[in-house]
Amino acid sequence: MNITQKSLLTTIIIVLASCSSVSSDRTNDSTAISASASGAYSDSGMTSNNVLYFSYDKSDVNSEGRIKIRTLAKLINDNDLNVRVEGHCDERGTREYNLALGEKRAKTVAELLIINGVSSDKIQTVSYGEEKPIVNGSNERSWSQNRRALVKTF
Amino acid sequence: MFKFKIFFLTFILFFYFSFTYSQLRIEIKGGIADPINIAVVPMKWELESTQTTYLHKIIKSDLESFGEFVVLPPEGMLSLPTSKEEIYYKDWRLLGVDYLVIGGTKGSNLDGNTETNYIIFDIAREKSIHRGNVIGPIKSLRKVAHKMSDKIYEKIQGIPGIFSTKLAYIDKPSSEDPNYNLRISDIDGFESISLFSSPQPLMSPSWSPDRKEIAYVSFEEGTSRIFLQELSSAKRKGLKLEEGINSSPNWSPNGDMISAVLSKSGNPDLFIYDLEQSSWTQITKHFGIDTEPDWSPDSRSLLFTSNRSGSPQIYEANVKNNRIKRLTFEGTYNARARYLPDGKGIVFVHRRNGVFHIATQNFRSGKVRILTDTYLDESPTISPNGNVIIYATKDGDRDILAGITMDGKTKFIMPSLKGEAREPAWSPLID
Repeated sequence: MNITQKSLLTTIIIVLASCSSVSSDRTNDSTAISASASGAYSDSGMTSNNVLYFSYDKSDVNSEGRIKIRTLAKLINDNDLNVRVEGHCDERGTREYNLALGEKRAKTVAELLIINGVSSDKIQTVSYGEEKPIVNGSNERSWSQNRRALVKTF
Repeated sequence: MFKFKIFFLTFILFFYFSFTYSQLRIEIKGGIADPINIAVVPMKWELESTQTTYLHKIIKSDLESFGEFVVLPPEGMLSLPTSKEEIYYKDWRLLGVDYLVIGGTKGSNLDGNTETNYIIFDIAREKSIHRGNVIGPIKSLRKVAHKMSDKIYEKIQGIPGIFSTKLAYIDKPSSEDPNYNLRISDIDGFESISLFSSPQPLMSPSWSPDRKEIAYVSFEEGTSRIFLQELSSAKRKGLKLEEGINSSPNWSPNGDMISAVLSKSGNPDLFIYDLEQSSWTQITKHFGIDTEPDWSPDSRSLLFTSNRSGSPQIYEANVKNNRIKRLTFEGTYNARARYLPDGKGIVFVHRRNGVFHIATQNFRSGKVRILTDTYLDESPTISPNGNVIIYATKDGDRDILAGITMDGKTKFIMPSLKGEAREPAWSPLID
């Protein structure tokens, strides 16, 4: 560890101070470390029809959604795309349960893409649970838009 | 006289918090029922440097946090004693005071430290019930005050005080800060720091039992992953990433294991991570959702949420033989349960008439008791002395933290001055 690193570490220790006996009276907000993932979030994907919607606490896709998935599957195969399916929930219920529910939604869509001829190695799934709502507001209008799965290229 | 006092105190409390910077602040909403009346006299200041932190003010706000005490401010006192000889018990009785605290702060023999000596008196019995001494740097007088509050609370209530504990929580992005922040603050909302900041979601903070580390979930790599971070060095390490969900970390009471949820087997199941071996052991195996584990105080079982019966309900898994027992039967949504510190029951999220409340269930009687009357309540966390629950709820469309005492008598909200707070996690007692 060189001197610069050492002094940086010391600074971090002083700033954090939460466990040591030294502690300032009014600590300012300090960011310990920042992650480097990308910033802004959007629902947009390869087509405007890349969003599937779900009923509350459910992960099955309705007939309208199945038609969308058929179109998406053709698009993926015709253009040899790799896709990532994101599962999302509305804010109701607990966060970690919703993370699991979001994964179920993403996997349901992935399975339907596979049934429609997309190779499984072209699909990734991820769940964001209720952490990335596209619309804010505690009402059915917002909730119905947030219970969604997105098919995105990557 | 008494009613006037409460009004006056409420005013002072509000005034005090409005003009002092903190990230969260406690505002008592419910009525104060049968409080203990205590007077904390301004401590004698025997240091050369100018006084900027007033111990009696911090102790007052501590003791009044959860509605159990009403603290008489100096303005209402007939005298300001700093030694036993200066106390006229009759005067304090006249003011309706049950307990009195006096003391003073001076320089300590230890370099750069201060030493505060204090005495707690029982006014009815006309005698001292405790003499205490707290040593700490002058910059840490808030900490000194919290330690004194803990001792006063313990001597009068008979259970440990929780004013030196901390709260971890997640701040969601706001117009001022586009990042998610994992924050830690004192339980009164002061000394707030951001331990980790990321443009991608952060979730599920869990304290190590020695209070030196926090486990949490971060999406910084594009998928959920569990990280452990040291508080003193900010050093962090990711647990072995598995395919699918990596979520819900929860530290075992002895600190050598972490229970978590992985979906690598195709669906979310409970696993235990051995920190020494760096390996995962599977606990539940079911095609439904198993999630939100919590260790029993004796480390023998894990509480968890499962929808194996068709709707989310609370179950308990024995970690030795993996035997599973269903615990909740009332209602169609029971989730994110935590054991009560005495192991005699659970606190969890319960849906009734479409509304999510915080409820408790006693193991012996099996009775469900709804504690909160707010809307969309979740993430309950219990004070280590078992007396107070802090949870996440909504104020309009805003995420805020709120709390309630176990007896249901005192309700409070902890609005964030910046951002929106969620997922509170109460630290253990150790300092």
